[in-house]
Amino acid sequence: MEYVNPLTGLRIDGRRPTEMRHLKAQIGVVSKADGSALFEMGNTRVIAAVYGPREVQNRGQQMNNNEALVRCEYSMANFSTGDRARKPKGDRRSTEISLVIRQTMEACILTKLMPRSQIDIFVQVLQADGGTRSACINAATLALADAGIPMRDIVTSCSAGYLCTMPLLDLNYAEDSAGGPDVTVGILAKMDKVTLLQMDAKLPLDTFETVMQLAIEGCKAIAQYIREIMLQNTKQLECRRGS
Amino acid sequence: MGLLISQLAHYNQAQKKQNKTKNGTPKVPSSQLSTLNSFSHSLLKFTARRTPTSSYQMETTQTTEGGGGGATGIAAQMEVEAFRRLFPLPFYKRHLLESVRPDARALDSARDTTISLGPVASADGSALVKIGETVRLSCWVKKAMLAAIKLEVMTPSKERPDEGSIVVEFYMPPICSPMVRPGRPAEVAPVISKQLLDVIRSSGMVNLKELCLISGKASWIAYLDIYCLNADGSLFDAALLSAVAAFTHLQIPLVSVTEEGRVFTVSSEQEEKTKFELVNKEKRKLSLSSIPFPLTCVIHEDYILVDPTAEEETVMETSITLVLDTLGNLVSIYKPGGVGLASTEIMKECITRTKRRMQELKTILEESVSVMEVD
Repeated sequence: MEYVNPLTGLRIDGRRPTEMRHLKAQIGVVSKADGSALFEMGNTRVIAAVYGPREVQNRGQQMNNNEALVRCEYSMANFSTGDRARKPKGDRRSTEISLVIRQTMEACILTKLMPRSQIDIFVQVLQADGGTRSACINAATLALADAGIPMRDIVTSCSAGYLCTMPLLDLNYAEDSAGGPDVTVGILAKMDKVTLLQMDAKLPLDTFETVMQLAIEGCKAIAQYIREIMLQNTKQLECRRGS
Repeated sequence: MGLLISQLAHYNQAQKKQNKTKNGTPKVPSSQLSTLNSFSHSLLKFTARRTPTSSYQMETTQTTEGGGGGATGIAAQMEVEAFRRLFPLPFYKRHLLESVRPDARALDSARDTTISLGPVASADGSALVKIGETVRLSCWVKKAMLAAIKLEVMTPSKERPDEGSIVVEFYMPPICSPMVRPGRPAEVAPVISKQLLDVIRSSGMVNLKELCLISGKASWIAYLDIYCLNADGSLFDAALLSAVAAFTHLQIPLVSVTEEGRVFTVSSEQEEKTKFELVNKEKRKLSLSSIPFPLTCVIHEDYILVDPTAEEETVMETSITLVLDTLGNLVSIYKPGGVGLASTEIMKECITRTKRRMQELKTILEESVSVMEVD
């Protein structure tokens, strides 16, 4: 199947190979949560809610008294994919992604500032069209910022692949399930450090470098967008406070 | 919002002049807390701490002249919050005596409701219901429910060969409330699932015969999944409303049969390209007869509070849920015990309030349907 049209050079959804999907974010969608955000990358829509820092609920899990405990749960809505998923939570993929998101966010939250407390990050996928992992991490960053939890830097994530001898940025579901390699990168934007790097399928080393660079560029673009959203949100809060 | 300002002015005569901000437009503070605090504050009359220059407005916590007053303002606001947590019932009692609630609603007014149809493109029918305040710049939503219906083909049971079926599932994911934790699911979720299924079945809103494809061989099973995105009291109301809205939005897709007798859905692009024999000629919507609309009230010693928040529900403890349909029939009454006892007069009061709310919801639903059809 032609994922990149040889005549026009466009992908199946009309994007250019190095073009990302349309981004949209909204802060503060869940009023009960300490921080929350809705993040959309094309048709992938994800809500993240952060509760914390609050008291540790399960004493057994609290390993380290000097640090906050970060927990994450990823779940997909039944109607999020094309076929109605039988088990939205607790299946292996969800557990794996929960772990990945937790460890990515743990790297950037200043846990030492909040000992003996717990920070819960809950991510719910409302619509899945490829790149849910990345959308979840981006949404979690915004939600943590909304909750006022101290972080080292903002974490953004983006995926890239290699199909029809072309590196493609931000794969959607069709391109993802094509069987080609899928590289997901998560970086700390300003510090320019990689916290998350996952890849499936085979890829020669030099192509891998190009694809990873492309993904990092995508992450930086998302970081730009996230900064704008946070700035807008802060301006609104300032405006409402009357100062 | 104008209502909020006027109620505040009513209780806060001295501050009336200071109620306008520099721009003259009403503003809402960043946290609901400061709204409630300043409003309840004036109501509870912590007059000892009140100074004429301190700002008990909704808008700001700091004004140029009330620097010192601002500091006691914040400390006094902490008192209110502590009072609210330590003595919730007296806190509410004082509000009820003035016939108002901490969020400045009247006792029998429900929160603003918005319905948007079709937020989930991959589902056959979906609706998003938001109940709560909507501020100009962003949504401070108090309650949000997302309902989506997916249709699948199944073989009908032998006793009812020409009827489809509906399966309702209500989920409360951990994002919706701090009370729900992974490993400790909300107790109330399966209760609401069952309530919803009962009401949808007994109201007869959906004629199951319309869900039939080929009598005896194939029929539709409609999986209705409702996700609570933000939980703040009277969850059943929002859930039923979103279920009803999703059913109004539902479109049955085109379907055709292969040689082996397997039924599969034909998407709209495919139908132009190939020549399948279509079982149903066009995408159709369900024809819904009497639509049920719910209302939850909370009773406390002769006071009836309509559309309670989560806090009100826990404090007052006795809730009644009534469901009326558009033909005026009572579909369901649900009063699961509770300390307060409901006399016949109270029940009649609740029924009148439900009737009014039903009219409101009916108009809102019809508006959202027409908005969608314009698109």
